[in-house]
Amino acid sequence: MTAKEEKTISAIEEQELFTFAEFDEEASERTGYSNYSYWGSTIRVFLKNKSAVTCLIIMISLLAFTFIQPYLPNQKNPITVHLDPNTGRQLMNHPPSKEYWFGTNSIGQDLWARIWSGTRTSLLIAIIVGVWEVAFGIAFGALWGYVRQLDALITEIYNVIHNIPTTIIMMLLAYIMRPSFKTMILVMCATGWLGMARFVRNQIIIIRDREYNLASRCLGTPTSRIIMKNLLPYLVSVIVMRIALSIPGTIGWEVFLTYIGLGLPIDTPSLGNLVNEGRRLIMSPSLRYQLIFPSAVLSLITVSFYIMGNAFSDAADPRNHW
Amino acid sequence: MNMIRYTLRRLWQSTVTVFIVLTAVFLLMRLLPVEGYFKDAYDKMQPEQRENILRSLGLLDPWYIQLKNFYAKLFRGDLGQSIVYRPKVPISEILSAKIPYSVKFGLTAMALSLALGLAMGVIQAREKGKFWDKIFTAYIVFINAVPAAVYLIFTQLYVTSVTKLPILFDRTKPSSWILPAVSMSFGGIAGYAMWMRRYMVDELNKDYIKLARAKGMSSTAIMVKHVMRNAFVPMAQYLPTSVLATISGSIYIESLYSIPGMGGLLVDAISIQDNTLVQALVLIFSSLGIIGLFLGDVLMALFDPRIKLEKRGGAR
Amino acid sequence: MSEPILSARDVVVKFSLRGQILTAIRGASLDLYEGKTLAIVGESGSGKSVFTKTFLGMLDANGWVDSGSIMFEGMDLAKLKTEREWLKIRGKKIAMIFQDPMTALNPLRTVGMQIQEVLELHQGLKGEEAKARTIEILGQVGISDPAMRYHQYPHEFSGGMRQRVVIAIAVACNPRILICDEPTTALDVTIQAQILELIRGLQKKLGLTIIYITHDLGVVANVADDVAVMYAGDIIEYGTAEEIFYNAQHPYTWALLSSLPQLGIKGQPLYSIRGTPPNLFNEIKGDAFAPRNPRALKIDFVKRPPYFQVSPTHYARTWLLDPRAPKVEPPATIKAMRAKYARDAI
Repeated sequence: MTAKEEKTISAIEEQELFTFAEFDEEASERTGYSNYSYWGSTIRVFLKNKSAVTCLIIMISLLAFTFIQPYLPNQKNPITVHLDPNTGRQLMNHPPSKEYWFGTNSIGQDLWARIWSGTRTSLLIAIIVGVWEVAFGIAFGALWGYVRQLDALITEIYNVIHNIPTTIIMMLLAYIMRPSFKTMILVMCATGWLGMARFVRNQIIIIRDREYNLASRCLGTPTSRIIMKNLLPYLVSVIVMRIALSIPGTIGWEVFLTYIGLGLPIDTPSLGNLVNEGRRLIMSPSLRYQLIFPSAVLSLITVSFYIMGNAFSDAADPRNHW
Repeated sequence: MNMIRYTLRRLWQSTVTVFIVLTAVFLLMRLLPVEGYFKDAYDKMQPEQRENILRSLGLLDPWYIQLKNFYAKLFRGDLGQSIVYRPKVPISEILSAKIPYSVKFGLTAMALSLALGLAMGVIQAREKGKFWDKIFTAYIVFINAVPAAVYLIFTQLYVTSVTKLPILFDRTKPSSWILPAVSMSFGGIAGYAMWMRRYMVDELNKDYIKLARAKGMSSTAIMVKHVMRNAFVPMAQYLPTSVLATISGSIYIESLYSIPGMGGLLVDAISIQDNTLVQALVLIFSSLGIIGLFLGDVLMALFDPRIKLEKRGGAR
Repeated sequence: MSEPILSARDVVVKFSLRGQILTAIRGASLDLYEGKTLAIVGESGSGKSVFTKTFLGMLDANGWVDSGSIMFEGMDLAKLKTEREWLKIRGKKIAMIFQDPMTALNPLRTVGMQIQEVLELHQGLKGEEAKARTIEILGQVGISDPAMRYHQYPHEFSGGMRQRVVIAIAVACNPRILICDEPTTALDVTIQAQILELIRGLQKKLGLTIIYITHDLGVVANVADDVAVMYAGDIIEYGTAEEIFYNAQHPYTWALLSSLPQLGIKGQPLYSIRGTPPNLFNEIKGDAFAPRNPRALKIDFVKRPPYFQVSPTHYARTWLLDPRAPKVEPPATIKAMRAKYARDAI
């Protein structure tokens, strides 16, 4: 458009332009519209974190592999003792080869199969413990926060338990009970829920006493809706984070208890047992693969879950949603 | 005045906690099978023989009598006698030889983790999102996610072969002190750095920082005079937690490097099932934990003028 | 009229937020005259605080001055980049106090130290001398027993007292311009008057130039010489307090004044502005207020109005002042006010 044309058009339009426009109620409201959505932003922030996404992919493939591994062809039984076809004796400490990908251990069991079996055991324990932590923590925390008469008492009990090092509680419980899968789970479940319970209790008190919630209730919002809108999104993200972080935590405790001799029975392959078996052989460099392979798989799992859990908790925090 | 009242109140709470914990531990230990009191001779003994031994140990009395005797002895400083580890030797005697090592290593490791961890956290907060922040965050993630046993074993294995430091502890060789002390501080460094960074970032977002900027302070001055100071206050609470970390760390380190300290002793006592020795060590470690938290709270109240006024609740 | 002490021209401020660019200030201009009190009014989110923060280089890390100039003492503040350059301005020449005195002080340091810090920084005072001066300033801002209060922590002070301390910190710098960002919003009504009185007293004594940021027109009437009305990141009307209250020209200013409860007519519902302010993520075409203005012109949706001069001190950005525009009557409350003013003037 040339300047001249523009001038003509504007001359025609000018008259028109200085007349009243129609008022559009909807348009006046539309201007302040915000397209913010909590879960949308949480997922977007999480996906932006490249290392977390990498960990997520590693994790999903690893988890999938762990559970389908026994059904793949040419997989060995983790507790079968393999024999040397020439001598007929146990195939002890066979270095990694085509047949035994990660070698064999000191009594001739296939390390590859044992590692995945151990991973399954350890993950199973971790998931049970994580779910327990969340479920019991929420139930107990709700009771704690909801029943005012109990608050002071439970708070005192909490302070006592909180004051004792977790290490000591777990060790003592494991020492008193006979080593078994059940013992392990019981011991691990003993303390973790405390943190979750306290979190839920504090949230309930916030819902009860914070002014924005009081205000909301004064305007007639039913409590159920306040819980749905203000507590639930937060709770869901805390649950996801807790379960994600309980995996490295539980595996770490399992390794610790195994190390001090209070772990699962030796015949149950678990990551803790495998690391501990490998540790005994470190003085001969040619056998170190028995420590390195389990440690590598274990570290991959714990680091991935840890990074993911933290990235998710960052992403779930609305303050990071910009 | 407030400070004294607050300290006394916390002291009272801690004392009660110690008693509850001691009692609970003692009663739990009664649940154990009695084999642990016989060294290896259990199977060879006649039932009467066993009963005699148990009676002489006071283990056949009703639990409240046992508890009373336990406290009566405890107030005299008597922790009982070892059964398997060094039979008939008073536990206090065994410990007195071990404690100096644990204390020396513990304090060295704590000093190291404080110095390095705080420095790391400050650098991270200042360089948030940049190179060093990322490197140190990677370190923190690694230490927090990977079980201590794993990285400690690998440290012992490979660092000794690279640096030619001794692989086991030897009282007479000063160089054998280095690696255990350094590895013992790995966890503490990560913990301090993580919290220092978090608290500094929190402080940086507070309103008073805006006012400090508006009054013309340089960002360096704000860091030193306001942010670092304020961020360190809640850290004071974690000082005792680092004592705890050193305790559980020392369980690994002392047994890995064969250091004759209390942590290694605990592992030994558990593996040979020396019940009285385990009981004594558990009592000591849990009391240490409680004392640590008490000291941490008092320390924090010293730094933060507001704490003394608040009522202590569960929301800590 | 004398030269302005600070003169902002066409300032554009942008933020990057959630991966999008937001224009918070859209070419705002402002003149500030020595010794006067200017009030910037507007609803929340109109950019009052952001605009004044550019005078101190205190925008959040994700914001920046995109274009425009802010002339102060022969310097263009919009061009300053490094912290070192800003340190010559902040506190020393232009100081700022904030809305919430409860959080504006470091809870872990004594009140005395937080004031003294400023004296050491800007006036080179040290030790006993600095302490004596600090106590003197505490007395000046109306804190009784300053020598004892010097050693106390912020939590031992009430809200009003803390705001006095914040003011003490600001005036300890001895600035030329003091920006007060809603200094009384968080306080009790009875305390509000005291704080306003204190600021007025200090202004007289120290010859301060003051910018008040507020949405409280009562405060404006109380303290302001000049008033700037902000809407959606732009100053849409600027004039002396009288001109704004009694001869407002912009429909938004009319709407703002009409919603004052004091001006409401008995028996009639209180006026409220319909709709919501615009989303600053979107590009705003024409007059930002047009969608909420029941009597908007078509051109308001097409072209942004320039400033029309009403008097040497009074400007407004509205097409209604264009000679081609139809005559629009202001709402009844505004007319009543104008009439009352005309009567009083006689």
